[in-house]
Amino acid sequence: MQGGMERTTGEKMVLNFGPQHPATHGTLRIVLELDGETILKATPHAGYLHTGFEKLGEHLDYNQYIVVTDRMNYLSPLSNNFGYVLAVEQLLGIEVPERCQYIRVLMAELSRLADHLLWLGTAALDLGAFSVFLYSFREREKLYSIFEKTTGARLTTSYTRVGGVFRDLYDGFENDARDFITNFPKALKETHTLLTRNRIWMDRTKGVGAISPEDAINYGLTGPNLRATGVAHDLRKAEPYSSYEKFQFDVPVGTNGDVYDRYLVRMEEMIQSCGIVRQALDNLPEGPFSLEDNKVMMPDKSDAYGHIEGLIHHFKIVMDGHGVQPPQGDHYCATESPNGELGFYIVSDGSGTGYRIRIRPPSFFHFQSLPHMLEGGMVSDTVAVLGSLNVIAGELDR
Amino acid sequence: MMNEEKEEITEETQPLVLEKLREKFSDALLDDAETQNGVSVVVNKENSYALLEYLKTELAYSFLVDVTAVDNSQLESELMQYDYARFMVVYQLYTFEGETSRIRVKVPVHEKDLKIQSVTELWKAANWLERETYDMFGIDFEGHPDLRRILMPDDFEGHPLRKDYPLQGRGERERFNFEKQNR
Amino acid sequence: MGLAKTHIQSGASTERTDGNIITTTIDKVVNWGRKNSLWPMPFGTACCAIEMMATLASKYDLSRFGSEAIRFSPRQSDLLIVSGRISIKMMPVLKRIYDQMPDPKWVISMGACASCGGVFDTYTLIQGVDQFLPVDVYIPGCPPRPEDLIDAVMQVQRQIHKGELPKGSEVAYDE
Repeated sequence: MQGGMERTTGEKMVLNFGPQHPATHGTLRIVLELDGETILKATPHAGYLHTGFEKLGEHLDYNQYIVVTDRMNYLSPLSNNFGYVLAVEQLLGIEVPERCQYIRVLMAELSRLADHLLWLGTAALDLGAFSVFLYSFREREKLYSIFEKTTGARLTTSYTRVGGVFRDLYDGFENDARDFITNFPKALKETHTLLTRNRIWMDRTKGVGAISPEDAINYGLTGPNLRATGVAHDLRKAEPYSSYEKFQFDVPVGTNGDVYDRYLVRMEEMIQSCGIVRQALDNLPEGPFSLEDNKVMMPDKSDAYGHIEGLIHHFKIVMDGHGVQPPQGDHYCATESPNGELGFYIVSDGSGTGYRIRIRPPSFFHFQSLPHMLEGGMVSDTVAVLGSLNVIAGELDR
Repeated sequence: MMNEEKEEITEETQPLVLEKLREKFSDALLDDAETQNGVSVVVNKENSYALLEYLKTELAYSFLVDVTAVDNSQLESELMQYDYARFMVVYQLYTFEGETSRIRVKVPVHEKDLKIQSVTELWKAANWLERETYDMFGIDFEGHPDLRRILMPDDFEGHPLRKDYPLQGRGERERFNFEKQNR
Repeated sequence: MGLAKTHIQSGASTERTDGNIITTTIDKVVNWGRKNSLWPMPFGTACCAIEMMATLASKYDLSRFGSEAIRFSPRQSDLLIVSGRISIKMMPVLKRIYDQMPDPKWVISMGACASCGGVFDTYTLIQGVDQFLPVDVYIPGCPPRPEDLIDAVMQVQRQIHKGELPKGSEVAYDE
């Protein structure tokens, strides 16, 4: 990796990386100033996918906004749905039934698997390991079919509601999920044999894009990228929500904070997630899957069609300005999404629409720290580092 | 959030951080409250940097979670309370140690004087967050190394998250200049 | 197999009519080859890009339909798949990429956001890329399933097979 230094010419070259580049997985742009192959300066540019999510939050009511959260981190929409409704519920001061909490944990962990799998596939693909991409998509498709059977959609799930989820798990869910978590570790082993001790993979990732724990905290990194530096910070442990305190799992940490550590941390997190899914299936409580408070949750369809009260409640929920109305105030709620701390800061004016919805996206901070990891390195490392951070443009630009 | 049941218990179990802040910034604090997961304080603009620095260096709030703003122009109660300051800049901090893990610092900013001191010296994470707040609200962070738009194109006019900016925009999406942006 | 068939058919018709028919035959052969070797340029920005990846990956495998040679350089590709939301900051980039593609070129607008703005009727989002690009095939859905994308690619193939010109070339000839 030192070879580049000898070939430097003293002349700077500016390389525009993106916004349309295969390794950006979307619409990221980095302007690199190069001396030979050494990166002197890297300037990331954001905003190419800015969609106005936060502005939309001021115009849609609390349940309508769930649809928007799907499209934020589209690798794991269920985690986003979950984080958002949790914030609204805390603002309302309600707590959902235990079964619902377990269902949400199940879906959040399965979507963590889906997220990490896509990360694995694309990060490996960027460094030339095409088989890993195909392997991880094979597993992902199995998850997709579980999501589709549960929520009706592969990707844009909109599964949660303020006060619960919109329907219970389907009958064969337990079988499908158990089947997946039993076979998945074997499939992951295939990837381990392909990558973990692979000479090329190690050379391209070890010591590349390293960041110290202090810098990582200063830059606001969270999730696997922070844990790869050795900081065992996981919101599921630090401030447990939705019954996470009842689950046994480890928080894997790295040591160097480089690309290889991020890879190992994510690989181990997938195994841990399988464990959480297994525990959730073992202990899945009986009972209602949603809050049975018709001021918050829509009544059952048969109720809406068959009884006048049900019909009134149904109308109240869906009618403009009559639905969920949190008291005036503000609240910040963060969850551990697959990428890191996903926070929602909601200001309510007491009406049925949020006054201000602020999303704290983990990718925003990861992308910001990119120059720190790139500068002084080789231009070919850009792809490895960018891939390892898992910057999702939809979440970055919102 | 100021719920009724919260106010009853405040007298006895005061979080330590709140006590310390009250002691040190007694004149600067405009309001404080306990929230579901921490503490929320409102501080005047002149002392915001000092308070954030104190929180970071003395009280171990080493993690800057978020910087954003709220346009209070349609929220009458907030306007009345803070001398008709249109904007509220909101900082969220987190600590890995201690009991009160989250603290929210709010700073009222008047529309006629949108300047506020930047915290990029304290946290590198603040760089882009302040740029975004500038882009979306037009808050002017003094001492920021590179305060320019981040999400919107450089030649964009207006600040989209202000309440007087329409959701569908002012026609930017139909007529924009290919040549100018295409660099 | 298909090539041989074309030859036999066209060979038979050449004998019966004048030589002009040969031009169309070459067109047919070219079109036949072209339709089965589409090189897509994936302009993936958001959620639809994930479904596009799924289409290219193991289960759905777009290469079964003769368009697996994904090219990230516009100069090497003849099918632009716009998948995802296009913001006012991105639109000039997309336009430039389209301009760089060699003729003849086809455009698929994948998903609701690219086709009409979808659920995002906001200040920054282009309400349909067809305001600025000639779109040949639209795919509804948010996001469309991989099958939908495969169908759209086959739709383009059918258009090529029939010898229809892409929308883009019609615009060019008008000017």
